[in-house]
Amino acid sequence: MVSTIQNTDVKQKEADRAVVVAVTSRAVFDCGADDGDEVCEVGVAFPLLQALQRVNERLLEENPSESLLFDVVLITSDSQQQQQSSRIISNTRHHGLEISRFCFSSEEDFTESLLKNNVHLFLTTDRDEAAQASQKGVFSALLNGKVASSEQLRVVFCGDAVIRTDTEPPSASQDAAQSFWAQLGEMRRRFGMLDSPLSLVLLTSRGGRESCGTALQTLRSRGVNMDEAYSLAGAPQSPILSLLRPHFLLINHLQD
Amino acid sequence: MSLDPVQVMSGQVKELKVGPSSNGDSRGSWEEKEEIDQDNVGLTTKPKPPKPENAVTVAVSSRVLFRTEREQKVFEQDGVEEYLRFQIEHENEPFTPGPAFPFVKALEAVNCRLRELYPQSEELFDIVLVTYNHAHVGIRLINTINHHNLFIERFCMTGGSSPIGYLKAWQTNLYLSADADKVREALSEGIAAATMFTSEKVTEVSESQLRVAFDGDAVLFSDESERIFKAHGLDKFFEHERDNEDTLLDHGPLKGFLEALGKLQKKFYAKGQRLDCPIRTYLVTARSAASSGIRALKTLRAWGLEIDEALFLAGAPKGPMLEKIRPHIYFDDQMFHVEGAAEMGTVAAHVPYGIAQKHNAKQNISVRK
Repeated sequence: MVSTIQNTDVKQKEADRAVVVAVTSRAVFDCGADDGDEVCEVGVAFPLLQALQRVNERLLEENPSESLLFDVVLITSDSQQQQQSSRIISNTRHHGLEISRFCFSSEEDFTESLLKNNVHLFLTTDRDEAAQASQKGVFSALLNGKVASSEQLRVVFCGDAVIRTDTEPPSASQDAAQSFWAQLGEMRRRFGMLDSPLSLVLLTSRGGRESCGTALQTLRSRGVNMDEAYSLAGAPQSPILSLLRPHFLLINHLQD
Repeated sequence: MSLDPVQVMSGQVKELKVGPSSNGDSRGSWEEKEEIDQDNVGLTTKPKPPKPENAVTVAVSSRVLFRTEREQKVFEQDGVEEYLRFQIEHENEPFTPGPAFPFVKALEAVNCRLRELYPQSEELFDIVLVTYNHAHVGIRLINTINHHNLFIERFCMTGGSSPIGYLKAWQTNLYLSADADKVREALSEGIAAATMFTSEKVTEVSESQLRVAFDGDAVLFSDESERIFKAHGLDKFFEHERDNEDTLLDHGPLKGFLEALGKLQKKFYAKGQRLDCPIRTYLVTARSAASSGIRALKTLRAWGLEIDEALFLAGAPKGPMLEKIRPHIYFDDQMFHVEGAAEMGTVAAHVPYGIAQKHNAKQNISVRK
C-alpha cells in the first residue's frame, strides 16, 4: 500500500521538468522511539537537502519562472518510521525543508512509490535498498555516510566504465541515468564558472588519462560540462574522496 | 565491448545482484572500494603507474609544465569565462614546453633505466599534474600530454579550489608551481616545493642524465646560519660556523627530496652503475670549502646523504658555475640567485623559505605567471 501526501507549505514543481530526487526519511531525520520529544535529530542527508534547496534558490534567482528545479520527495518505508509520519511532516516544517511530497509504503513496495512518483534519483544509506530500486530501473546512489560539509552541492561521477554502443538497446535504467546526467548538466549551465551552487566532478579510478579524457568528451557531447576532474590511475580512492566531499557518488556507464 | 559495473567493482559487489545503473555499494562508506583489482587497471600497453607510497611523486602545475602565457593574458584581461572559451577553442593546439618540461622528461628517462634494471619495482618517479585549472581545460591538457609523449596518467584539476590537500593525498615529494602562494602553503604543510618561472633563455640539458642542483642554506639546510649572517654580518657568520662545526645543521625543505634521489641512485650503484648513473646531484653554495663549508659537509654525511658534487663558491656568483653544470633544475631560496641563474639559461626554482624572504621584496622580481 502506497500513499502520498503533498506538502502544502511548498509550491509543487512542474512534473515533466523537475528533477525528482527521492530520499529515505531515515537518512533525513533520526526520530527516536521516544514520543515525548517532538523534534528529531537531523540525519546524514540533511546537508544534502539544504544544498539541493540552495541550488533551487539560485536557479529561481537567475530566472523566477525556472522549471528545471530539484523536486524532493521523502520516502518512508520502514514500519517504525511510519508511526512517526506526523513527526516527519512536522519536523520538515520545523527545519524549513523544501520537501514537496511524503510517500509512505511498506518495505516490500517502496519501489512502487519511487516509480509512481517518477523519481529520477533515489538516495539511501542502505545498500540493499539501492540495489532493489535499481533493479526496477530507478537510478540510485548511496549517500555519503560522513556528513558532507560544503554548502555547494557536489556531485561526483565515477567515469570508469565507458560502454561502446552495443547491439543491445539501452536499458531503461541506463536511459534514466543518462537523462539524470543531462538534467544536471543543464542545471549547471544556468550558472557561471565562479560561485556556482552546484559542482560536477569527474573521478576516474582506473585507466589513465585516456579514460578520463574520453569521459570528459563523452559527457560534454551530452551537454554535461565538468568543473573538476581527477584521474587516479589505480591510486587509492579514499584520500581523494575525503577531499572531494561529495554529497553523493554516482557510478554509471556512458554510451558513445 | 560492454563493461558491467559488477566487474568494475570487482571484489566488492559480487554478492549483490545489481542492475547496471545502481550504485549498490558499501554501507555509507567508500573506503572499501580501494580493493579494486590493481592488476586490472586497464593499461595493457603502457607500464602501470606505481602506488603513491612506493614512488617519488613529483607534482607539477600546468603553468610550469607547459607555456601558457597567452592564455594567462586572456584570463587576466578578459576573465574566466573568456579564458575557458579560448582554451576550448584551441583544444587541439598543444601547449609548448614550459620550465619544468626538461626536468620531467629527465625523470622519465630515469624511470626507463630503473625499469630495465628492476622490472617489478615500484620505486620510480611518478609525475602528477596538479592544477587548479578548470576541467574545461582538461581535454587540451590531455591532448598536450599525448602530443609530447609524456607519461602522466594522474592528475587533479580542482576547478579553483586549493590543490594542497591533494598534494598530501598523493604523498607528494616535490611540488612545482608558478604560484608562489601555493608553494608557500605547500612548504608550510611540510611538502618540498618551489616556484618556477618562464625564461626566454634556456640552455640545453642532458636527455639521459637527470641533474639536480641545490643551494645549501635554507634549501637543504635550515636558515639558521643565514639568520646570523643577515643579522650580524659575515665575520660573525664565520665565527658561528667554526664554533658549531660539529653541530649538525637543522634540515631544510628540500632535504627530503635529495634523500629520495639518493635512494634511487643507490639502486643503480647496486647494479654496478655508479659511473653511468642517470641521476647526478650537486650542492652549489656560497659557503667556503675551507671554513663554513665543512659544517655543511659534516651535516650531509651525518644524514647519510651523498651528494655527487659540492661546489663551494665562497661568495662568487653562481650563474657561471651552473652554466657549466647544466642542471635540469636548481633550487635556491634567494631570488637574486634564481634570477642570476636564469640570465645564464639555467632553470632555477625559488624556495620561498626562511629569513631571505624578508629581503626579497627589495629585488626586482619579474614574475611571469
